[in-house]
Amino acid sequence: MKPVPLILLLATVLLSSHIPPSVCRPRDLAMFDGHGYKSQLDEVLLKAGDNAISYLIGEKILRYLQRNPRLQAGLPPQFPFEVTPLGSRGLGHLARSLPPLEEQRAPEEGNSLEEFVELTKRNDDPTISIDLTFHLLRNMIEMARIESQKEQAELNRKYLDEVGK
Amino acid sequence: MGGTFREQLFFVMLCLSVLKGHARYMEENEITPEGLFSLLNSELKREIPEEFIYSRPLRCLDMVAAEGQFTFTADRPHLSCAAFFIAEPNQVINVEYDSVDIDCRGGDFIKVFDGWVMKGEKFPSSQDHALPLMERYIDYCDSGTVRRTVRSSQNVAMVFFRVHTVGSSFTLTVRKPINPFPCNIISQTPEGSFTMVIPQQHRNCSFSIIYPVEIKIAELSLGHLNDFPIKKSMPGCAGAGDFVELLGGNGMDPSKMFPVADLCYNFNGPAQMKIGCDNTVVRMVSSGRFVNRVAFQYRLLDRQELQRIKVNSVEDFCFTG
Repeated sequence: MKPVPLILLLATVLLSSHIPPSVCRPRDLAMFDGHGYKSQLDEVLLKAGDNAISYLIGEKILRYLQRNPRLQAGLPPQFPFEVTPLGSRGLGHLARSLPPLEEQRAPEEGNSLEEFVELTKRNDDPTISIDLTFHLLRNMIEMARIESQKEQAELNRKYLDEVGK
Repeated sequence: MGGTFREQLFFVMLCLSVLKGHARYMEENEITPEGLFSLLNSELKREIPEEFIYSRPLRCLDMVAAEGQFTFTADRPHLSCAAFFIAEPNQVINVEYDSVDIDCRGGDFIKVFDGWVMKGEKFPSSQDHALPLMERYIDYCDSGTVRRTVRSSQNVAMVFFRVHTVGSSFTLTVRKPINPFPCNIISQTPEGSFTMVIPQQHRNCSFSIIYPVEIKIAELSLGHLNDFPIKKSMPGCAGAGDFVELLGGNGMDPSKMFPVADLCYNFNGPAQMKIGCDNTVVRMVSSGRFVNRVAFQYRLLDRQELQRIKVNSVEDFCFTG
């Protein structure tokens, strides 16, 4: 075959095989497999591996608290501050000292419900942070909103009382 | 001439006699005008009598959505405490230290953080915040005597504190001034609507909903497309300087979340998307050359919808449909 028609044929084949990009489609996630997502996942898994037991116990404690919302309100939790996440032994002590779910109803007798939140301070990053689940955060926001609405209603009542005098 | 002048004079006198002045004075009663105005005028809130200021103790782990005074008193050593503050989307948080009695040299601290940080992830992300990370922590022990008031850049802030000595205490007075152009918001509710406007500023703004929701974008207006078409050399909106992206993830930091969709064309009809993640973010990237606006609504996904999304989805980072 002559070179010019061959080149033309090749060019035609190449151009026709080009797929135009579509507009506004969800971004291709394959690009994350190589970089950020996978390394983040590995990091999380490694951390979880190190702290597997402490994480599980921590989750258990969280669930305990969620089942007993009164305890959340009345009790200021005490958290030993540590540079690394609380070791499994420490959390084990804590979990064992937790009262059985059904009996315990009075939050004020210095009870052993502690440490459902741990502050972790990573050695390389001096950021102070807190470990909470979204579930707990949502509950806290809900309670705070109710408190804020009650306060506003009370304030409105006081204003109206003043004006009405 | 004299006749005209007289007519004018008579006319003036007629007018003067018709117009009567009314004099009035305010009667003194129990509510003085000043007192009443101070109650109704939000700018004079500082002068409101004490019975109108909400006050309660601050807990070691706390969430505050109300204005008022919050006092923490240590009944035993508290080494790791944190209180979150949240306001309406169009407000910022103003924290003022009052009567602080802690031992800075003994290791006590009170640090206000400009944003929220959870599990090491912060909102707003470093890309969306004007200050570097370390400047977002304001330590009372470093600067409290000089700087007694800290104002956040968005509707969320938090304070970390530690007190060793029993009896140590401090009071925080929280106010929520209005922010006319909110950027970086965490929604207090799983349902609602919002219009985000970035008026010719080179900044990125995120609206975070810490629930799995369905987002319905009602209107998107990116200034540049009214004038000339954008040159698209790359797929999606990567080449555009102004666009909106929907992100989903299970952490706090939008820069660590996964883009679910991006939008760089104006439209006026609802476009909806269900995102089954713990955190859903609508993020607008703005070049600063135009006024950009996006209006959207969101509602909580129920259990059935979440289940359906999980079953149908092939990606496993969260579940989108």
